[in-house]
Amino acid sequence: MVNFTVDEIRAVMDKKRNIRNMSVIAHVDHGKSTLTDSLVSKAGIIAGAKAGETRFTDTRKDEQDRCITIKSTAISMYFELEDRDLVFITNPEQREKEEKGFLINLIDSPGHVDFSSEVTAALRVTDGALVVVDCVSGVCVQTETVLRQAIAERIKPILFMNKMDRALLELQLDSEELYQTFQRIVENVNVIIATYADDNGPMGNIHVDPSKGSVGFGSGLHGWAFTLKQFAEMYSEKFKIDVVKLMNRLWGENFFNPKTKKWAKQKEADNKRSFCMYILDPIYKIFDSIMNYRKEEYEALFPKLGIQLKHEDKDKDGKPLLKVVMRTWLPAGEALLQMIAIHLPSPVTAQKYRMEMLYEGPHDDEAAIGIKNCDPNAPLMMYVSKMVPTSDKGRFYAFGRVFSGKVATGMKARIMGPNYTPGKKEDLYEKAIQRTILMMGRNVEAIEDVPSGNICGLVGVDQFLVKTGTITTFKDAHNLRVMKFSVSPVVRVAVEPKNPADLPKLVEGLKRLAKSDPMVQCIIEESGEHIIAGAGELHLEICLKDLEEDHACIPIKKSDPVVSYRETVVEESNQMCLSKSPNKHNRLFMKAVPMPEGLAEDIDDGKVNPRDDFKSRARYLGEKYEYDVTEARKIWCFGPDGTGPNILVDCTKGVQYLNEIKDSVVAGFQWATKEGVLSEENLRGVRFNIYDVTLHADAIHRGGGQIIPTTRRCLYACLLTAGPRLMEPVYQCEIQCPEVAVGGIYGVLNRRRGHVFEEQQVAGTPMFVVKAYLPVNESFGFTADLRSNTGGQAFPQCVFDHWQILPGDPLETSSRPYTVVQETRKRKGLKEGLPDLSQYLDKL
Amino acid sequence: MSQFSTNEAVSLEKQVETVLNPATKFELIDEVYELQRCAGWIKANDFQKVCLQFPDHLLQDSSEVALRLGKQVGRTVYILADTAYESCCIDYVAAGHINADAIIHFGPVCFSKTSANIPYLNIYEKDELDLGALEQCLVPLNEKIVILLDTSFIHLTDKIVAKFPDHTIKTINSDNLTIENDTVVFIGGRNHHRKLPNLKFSHKPKTLYYFNDKAPSLINYTLDEKVLRRRYFLVEKIKDSNTVGIVIGTLGVSNYLKAIERLKKLLTLHSKKYYLVSVGKPTVAKLANFPEIDIYVVVTCALNEIYDSRDYYKPIVTIYDVEMALNPAPEGLEFTYDYNDVITRPLNDVTSDPNDVSLLTGRIRGTSTIQGAELVSKEAGTVALNTNHGAGFLANRTWKGLERDVGGDEVKMASEGRRGIAQSYNDETSG
Repeated sequence: MVNFTVDEIRAVMDKKRNIRNMSVIAHVDHGKSTLTDSLVSKAGIIAGAKAGETRFTDTRKDEQDRCITIKSTAISMYFELEDRDLVFITNPEQREKEEKGFLINLIDSPGHVDFSSEVTAALRVTDGALVVVDCVSGVCVQTETVLRQAIAERIKPILFMNKMDRALLELQLDSEELYQTFQRIVENVNVIIATYADDNGPMGNIHVDPSKGSVGFGSGLHGWAFTLKQFAEMYSEKFKIDVVKLMNRLWGENFFNPKTKKWAKQKEADNKRSFCMYILDPIYKIFDSIMNYRKEEYEALFPKLGIQLKHEDKDKDGKPLLKVVMRTWLPAGEALLQMIAIHLPSPVTAQKYRMEMLYEGPHDDEAAIGIKNCDPNAPLMMYVSKMVPTSDKGRFYAFGRVFSGKVATGMKARIMGPNYTPGKKEDLYEKAIQRTILMMGRNVEAIEDVPSGNICGLVGVDQFLVKTGTITTFKDAHNLRVMKFSVSPVVRVAVEPKNPADLPKLVEGLKRLAKSDPMVQCIIEESGEHIIAGAGELHLEICLKDLEEDHACIPIKKSDPVVSYRETVVEESNQMCLSKSPNKHNRLFMKAVPMPEGLAEDIDDGKVNPRDDFKSRARYLGEKYEYDVTEARKIWCFGPDGTGPNILVDCTKGVQYLNEIKDSVVAGFQWATKEGVLSEENLRGVRFNIYDVTLHADAIHRGGGQIIPTTRRCLYACLLTAGPRLMEPVYQCEIQCPEVAVGGIYGVLNRRRGHVFEEQQVAGTPMFVVKAYLPVNESFGFTADLRSNTGGQAFPQCVFDHWQILPGDPLETSSRPYTVVQETRKRKGLKEGLPDLSQYLDKL
Repeated sequence: MSQFSTNEAVSLEKQVETVLNPATKFELIDEVYELQRCAGWIKANDFQKVCLQFPDHLLQDSSEVALRLGKQVGRTVYILADTAYESCCIDYVAAGHINADAIIHFGPVCFSKTSANIPYLNIYEKDELDLGALEQCLVPLNEKIVILLDTSFIHLTDKIVAKFPDHTIKTINSDNLTIENDTVVFIGGRNHHRKLPNLKFSHKPKTLYYFNDKAPSLINYTLDEKVLRRRYFLVEKIKDSNTVGIVIGTLGVSNYLKAIERLKKLLTLHSKKYYLVSVGKPTVAKLANFPEIDIYVVVTCALNEIYDSRDYYKPIVTIYDVEMALNPAPEGLEFTYDYNDVITRPLNDVTSDPNDVSLLTGRIRGTSTIQGAELVSKEAGTVALNTNHGAGFLANRTWKGLERDVGGDEVKMASEGRRGIAQSYNDETSG
């Protein structure tokens, strides 16, 4: 399809069963963008010869320079399936009758863990995922992370084994070894799928299976790929076996004896695995003969395999010839697009089971039903998953997926931010959509309207949304659920303009940066520092660069990266803490207790949350954490911000007027959990119990003014008496390297307080994988350090994993946490020294 | 009448927590309080009713001073003991209660321009200064300097002039103090940590040192970046807030009404709700009584330390911060604690960008565009529609008053309650 136009695409958009929305996900450097290019070359947007050499989806200059994808990019492609292939689509929801053309909306996502939030945003608007695995390195940590996320979003995966050329040319694996490698990767992927998905779940069985054709093999760089279907088609006539049956025979424990012409289920003396014999052997032969310049041999092979070279390619030899031959014989685009069309769900199929995950409102309202049926005539429901900068500075395209109804240029719609709650006006706007656009790599094309099941961009709603949001025409619509990221912004730098007069520009730039990245946080701290928080050093580096060059356009000074800490406690308060109100007429008696291990994480993950039914929450807490169920029913609130991992529990018995001061106590609790006693960092994993309260009989003497500051003082006293500690964020770090480099890794990790918890060889390769925990605070410069200590052979992937107590008592002046507390206090402009218990604790 | 007055036992047992200076020696009172000068001033102007204003730490001398002064002028003088706001400002309101003709103000003074026209006389404190130590400290400064004296050292002016003939001596109370681009050594007593930034902001000396008389040394005062940096946070916070409390912190500083009117106008322009809060001297407890207020702007004199406090439930901001947030100037407006420096600026035709991103919450700051566009059905009992302001806040509280469960609760006869006032009822023992 060289000449497809917007109008043609628009026509296909209505054929919702022929749409495939998919993302390409993988570990960093496994070849997503290169593979995507070969798809795009097939769909005709760039010339076929350039596939594998240009990175079409890397639209930014730094992406092309670094050869790393930073932003996810969407491309629409059009592709027609032949009649013989159409029969593979059996589900009526997967194709329109009498329609061969398929519209494929593909999103290429970054593989580096620091940009995982881009993957999350890509997954939200797609229904299927092409998981790319480098068959030399196998399944890596980021493969697992993104696959897990995909499954959690109910995204169906298909698998592609990339870099087969390397396996053949560099590793020189023999065919059986290569089969074993493939088999292991398929198994590994299926193990991950089985861990996070249920076969009886709404998506059904989503295991990948080469014999079903849902696993592809090939080389994105060389532009060739196949599934068993391609080979089965080649051989089916010869064997007189139906293609589907033959595909089953071409994988797994199927052996063929060429002499007896018999199939067997196990390896015998003179039979050979069918996959090796019929698929790998011809490929090996081509590689071998071309790379060894045996011209007669390979020229004899071509007609046998039905390869016809173009005239100008005939003079080539060696690697360039190999590329041309393989690309002609097994064109990657063809195989992949078939795989995508046949195995990935259409929006019609996918939205049926995705609706309940996506929609926050009742599952039977108009919006829910519209999504479920992918109905273009239902009210509009569109999710905006990210903002894409336009050439117009400070303005963005809102990029997202129409799940129901149609979005059209000029249409008036409700724009709901993530904090919108039905019936309230917060975060709700009603505006006309200025323009609907198609986003295709570097280009955008205006389009009149876009029906459900498609991905598009909007102009003119960016002012009303920060990062994500829901666009609807249904007055009673609830939000589409916000995305949950697998990474957290734990690394922070403070920025300031080199020239103080540029401050307004910096502030404006920070606001733009906040929009343009799905996860970055731009904040002004209480101390007045301008902070950028990101997932890791690389993420921050890119954000700072964007800020300096695109968003603020001024020279910027940045501080060294720092981490934020959390305050917690390790024991129960050693005394009942009493604080009296300023008028001395109200007394609060409380204690702090550390939460049992796992509860803070459960709250982070939303397994325990303030919106739960209090009875079922209490039961859960009782069963899992042995909390007293009657007490657990009386959790007054979570904090900070009403949702954080600290709780306030009412353990009082028969206190008069207690419910009257609840709001004030809660306000004090929110205050104290947001600004802890040691260094005004957030609290984490602390449970406060209120044991008794004496209150003045007159309401006027137990108002907020008396109770709020007193609650804070009392909570501070509780913290100081309960063994206060600091917590620091810790990365899980996965390092891949050859065996010789392992020693160097240990050295570097030891120096940085890291500890290894797993080390194993990647089966079938000489590579080792070392998994370690590494405090984020020690991770700055880790990559460079690691490289210099391993001769550049080790490459780490770090992702935030958990919070860990920083050993030492911050109340002892010689300890490390004490130093951290003092540094933080100084930075925040607080009084230096330690908080004084007597300021907070009163005597009876 | 016991229900209308405090139980006397409570008052008698009440512990007043003040840091008391040792009382001035009897024989020194005349000199320290310059009674002769006071008496002369009163007689010369023939004031009939004169009030004496003391800060808390000098109160224990007040009766003696009043008695002696009364004797000297032959009429009663009044002591204003309970200053409503800051003791550095002249308390016209208290003096107005007895229609006083004049006020004599003792102790530290802030030199804020005053709002009323009762004549007043400032009598400064008199602190000692180790001139020898000062001389030692000045030696390394090889340039012409200005020695600036705080009020409590003004009585030493002559001695200092004699001691340092090479240097210019200026006093902080002079009417048009110009020290721009000079090297200044400030000799300050109480409050110097606030006076220093004010000097720096308002007078822009080239370098500013202050003399630390506790451990004699000169300290180069550089502006505390943190104070300025915190403004960024506060300015952002003001932009974020829906409800602003305007706290009256002075009745004595000139233009305070103008400042309040200007604040009201600015806040209205930005469709922010404001409450005018008058609670006497603001304290943490008093201001925490209005949890629906997001931020407080305090209208008070430039020496008030409330601006530096971080103990308040909601942030406290200066008028400067509000101006920066809501009426930003194209040219850089420099930070000052003194609102009189900012309220004369023109009110720009301000309309805030409704779709600004807050750098505190990461949310869009604008208000909904659907306001009023849709009809809302009135349900039984609807009094006002929810807003982001006070009513909306109250609607989110869990405690909404006594619950009436008609038919569910057992009907009881009314019984007699307690008597007295809340601090101590008749049936309670005190404590």
